[in-house]
Amino acid sequence: MKPSLIFPALTALLSLAAAMGAETAIEGRVELPKGRPGPVVAKRYEIVSKGGVISTDPPLAVVYLEGPFRKPSPPATRQLTQKNLTFIPALLPVQVGTKVEFPNEDDTYHNIFSFSPAKRFDLGRYRPEERPIPSQIFDKAGPVTLRCDIHEHMRALILVLDTPHFVMTGTDGRFRLAGVPDGRYRLKAWTSSKTTLEKQVEIKSGAASRVDFP
Amino acid sequence: MNVLRSAAACLLLGTAAPLAAEGLIDRLDEALTVSAFDGHARARLSGTLDLEGYYFPRTPPGLIHADDDGALLNPRLTLFLDAQLGPHVYAFAQARADRGFDPGDGDREIRLDEYAIRLTPWEDGRFNLQIGQFATVGGGWITRHLSWDNPFVSAPLPYEHVTAVRSRVPPYSARYFAPGTLWGKYDYLPVIWGPSYATGVSVAGRLGRFDYAAEVKNASLSSVPESWSITETGFEHPTVTGRIGFRPDPAWNLGLTASRGPYLMPEAAAALPAGRGLEDYQQITLGHDISFAWHHWQLWAEVFVSRFEVPQVGNADTLAGYFEAKYKFTPQLFGALRWNQQFFSKVPDGWGGEHAWGDSLWRLDAALGYRFTPHTQLKLQYSPERATGGGPGTSHNFAVQFTVRF
Repeated sequence: MKPSLIFPALTALLSLAAAMGAETAIEGRVELPKGRPGPVVAKRYEIVSKGGVISTDPPLAVVYLEGPFRKPSPPATRQLTQKNLTFIPALLPVQVGTKVEFPNEDDTYHNIFSFSPAKRFDLGRYRPEERPIPSQIFDKAGPVTLRCDIHEHMRALILVLDTPHFVMTGTDGRFRLAGVPDGRYRLKAWTSSKTTLEKQVEIKSGAASRVDFP
Repeated sequence: MNVLRSAAACLLLGTAAPLAAEGLIDRLDEALTVSAFDGHARARLSGTLDLEGYYFPRTPPGLIHADDDGALLNPRLTLFLDAQLGPHVYAFAQARADRGFDPGDGDREIRLDEYAIRLTPWEDGRFNLQIGQFATVGGGWITRHLSWDNPFVSAPLPYEHVTAVRSRVPPYSARYFAPGTLWGKYDYLPVIWGPSYATGVSVAGRLGRFDYAAEVKNASLSSVPESWSITETGFEHPTVTGRIGFRPDPAWNLGLTASRGPYLMPEAAAALPAGRGLEDYQQITLGHDISFAWHHWQLWAEVFVSRFEVPQVGNADTLAGYFEAKYKFTPQLFGALRWNQQFFSKVPDGWGGEHAWGDSLWRLDAALGYRFTPHTQLKLQYSPERATGGGPGTSHNFAVQFTVRF
């Protein structure tokens, strides 16, 4: 190698190393909506030994990046559990194409269903130990509200996103979305079925951008 | 024709209203739930709005009353209050505005059908004490008797088919105790009057795979709704009912029910034989219920043997039961079939012989239901019914019910 080329090559390598060390990320905070009262279990005609007091799930938001991303390999399977007459977690963001399993960890039946346009299904009633665990593949973007046909108070939401770049906020509304590619995108913050906030962002290699909602 | 108008109204509501109202009902649900003390005290107001239409070419079956043209339009608003105070206290109430407890029985009524408070000392549910006016612990149909949960518009035969037994006017002699309802059908008793919202105290709980429940109520299982309130009937002649349940796994639920109590109302006392009182004439009922569920199938069956000790007659026994199946064809469309049957024993006819004290009968209920949204449902029902001991032949009854749940 000619001596005149050594210096530029070393400089490029050092720049790349620096860029890898300072991860490209977006961080910020979403102003979360006020918490809602926990549900009241209707147990007029049967004895319900669990679910007497259900802790109020603190409101959370899902922050995601919209853009022309390449389709990655099939996303990993996720689980949404039914335990103590509650869906855990109550909010689950997944990428389009994700398979979600619904294990029943109660000693009673559940009957999960959804009439949402993004995914309409009814799993029927199945035993806790049933194998394979009943599942669905969520192949269309949009919110999918889950309910139980037996326990009226049970609710959950699967947010199906057409992007591999998403993250849930903490209960304080803070988030950090790491590993995002360079470019200009729309950053969205879903806070409820009625509210999705949106901002334009420009991602630069090795830099951490700060975005707050609103 | 009323029934056609109601069917058309139901279809219109079923197709148009749900789409517009879906978001509104979800927001209403959130608005009607309140909490205090960091969520340890919570209350929720919910309800159903039912619009029912019936058409009976002949005499309306069960406890239903129809207009002269055999049609009946029956709107009903039901409000529920559920309140949870910590893990140990639960209270609920049910109020209705409709045309009578049984469709068409009255003009316009507003009633408090249920109210109760339940104490649960242990969170595992091993023991619960409940006081108030509430549905009976007996049988297996009560947990799904509300319009949203019942795949049919009507109740199973044992819960609505009236027999020749009267609670206000006992027969003067065996000759007057015969099949048929000579007076208004509201004077006559079924085996169990719907959910039997009588007043009293119950204990119930779960011990492993077993359930138990027992209640002391102010009126019998067959008693008329007017007698359920504590302001109408005291505890001088209580009825005791109990059920033992066994759940080998979540798919199965088996139960045995037993009940005993006087069924005659105080106004019948004057017509009783000398030296006899209301306590001498009991309704004794034994029942067995079984249910099974697997994926999109749900099956239920119940059978009751009930004995009415009838003044001047003796023991009048009847056996009534049903088998019911429901299947969900799609997430929104379901179908259900129910076979109902009832038999009657023979009693002295007062002329030296014996006769059956009721016309044995069968009834098939076939229903199709569609849930437009998680809050709206339309059901259509066809029910052929025939008395096997003769009579005018098979009657064909139709019903439609549109429900909005909030």
